[in-house]
Amino acid sequence: MLEHYQQKDRFLQRVNPSLKLGAVLVIIIMMVPVFDPWTPLLLFGVTVALITGLGGVHLRFLGLLLLPFLLFAFSFVWIQVVFPDERGGTILFTIGSLPVSLENVSTGVSLGMRALVFGSWSLLFVLTTEPSRFMLSLIQQCKLPPRFGYGMMAAFRFLPLFRDELRQIRTAHRIRGLGEKRGLRQLKRYFIPLMAGAIRKAERTAVAMESKGFDGSRNRTFYHRIHWNRHDAYFTGLFLLLLTTIWFVSTPWSA
Amino acid sequence: MRQSRTMNLREIVVMAFISAVFGVLYLVWIFLGQLVTGILGPVGGGLMAGFWIMAPIVCALIIQKPGAALFAELIAAGTEIMVGSVNAGSVLILGFTQGIGAELVFAMFRYRHFKLPVLMLAGMAGTTASFLTEFAIYGYSQFAAGVVWFMLGTMLLSGLLLAGWGSHYLTWALEKTGVLHNFAIGRNSRAEKQERGAS
Repeated sequence: MLEHYQQKDRFLQRVNPSLKLGAVLVIIIMMVPVFDPWTPLLLFGVTVALITGLGGVHLRFLGLLLLPFLLFAFSFVWIQVVFPDERGGTILFTIGSLPVSLENVSTGVSLGMRALVFGSWSLLFVLTTEPSRFMLSLIQQCKLPPRFGYGMMAAFRFLPLFRDELRQIRTAHRIRGLGEKRGLRQLKRYFIPLMAGAIRKAERTAVAMESKGFDGSRNRTFYHRIHWNRHDAYFTGLFLLLLTTIWFVSTPWSA
Repeated sequence: MRQSRTMNLREIVVMAFISAVFGVLYLVWIFLGQLVTGILGPVGGGLMAGFWIMAPIVCALIIQKPGAALFAELIAAGTEIMVGSVNAGSVLILGFTQGIGAELVFAMFRYRHFKLPVLMLAGMAGTTASFLTEFAIYGYSQFAAGVVWFMLGTMLLSGLLLAGWGSHYLTWALEKTGVLHNFAIGRNSRAEKQERGAS
């Protein structure tokens, strides 16, 4: 399902992965001093529009992915109401003997929405970026040492194999009559053989990489080159426009 | 034989594989964490925090070289992003600060001591780093001071137990299988056994 969106030929998919990741980090830092509910609400709306409009992601799918976030976001609201730093003066209603004030609810909603904004921007990156393009861009544009980049890529490609291996270990346990109990001790029974297998595979992979002439030097050639293109310029322009809007809308930045 | 202090390709790839597996486990854990946080609040989430510091401690204990902890956590974060984390941005920032937190402790001991207390300290440093980061990016300054201190307490405890003791337990169990013979942890434990045998 993820690949389906990552490989679509839409605007966001063509933007350089490093640039998109940079934008996500800027948004997170930008939101740090914001405590009013309107800025994150606006930003969240814009982000959802961007993902569906420019990334071709279906709204329903996006909603499904953000669903667990709602619970997480809600925790900020109730914690803020029950244990605020300062209790606000405008009491809306009381639950038992607990006064619920407008100020605390609004701060809680702001913090909860902030978590949702982070989630939506992360999805903007994840849903529109192919893992291999991301890694190549990190190596080519962010000067990540190729040893680490390709090492990570190799490990990532092995992940589906680990899933099969886990199934194998479980079957092997069942054949030997160890049963299907779940618990901390049982966790170790899966973890150790899985990790031991992973380490053996990693050593073999490293030998294979070296024997094929991979020396980790920076002046290497690439089969795929990630170039800067005009989509990056449009994206930067759009992003700056968004930042300026936040700048004027939210109080801590404009004041 | 004196080993070089920079990591070679074999160590990097092994580190990448271990951290990638942890990256996937982290994703499952995030889902669990959000559920627990949603019900118990950030305090309950604090108890789960130590798990996210396991990759750097396991890798540092195995490889025992500068940078192992930081890069392990960055690789785990990178894997989470590639697999498709709904929290990619914060994961990257947190991975960086958590890695630095654990790395600092190992650097303080000049990458020579990897006994349980050092690992526990590294685990606590890692969760402290994640606490400070979350404090900033999720706006914990708006909560009552008591709750925030309590949260730091649970995170420290989690770093001590899950990250410190848990990593120690799992890594030494892994060492017994023999797959780590070619790494610093295996070499050192063999050297120790020889010394004990000679005396």
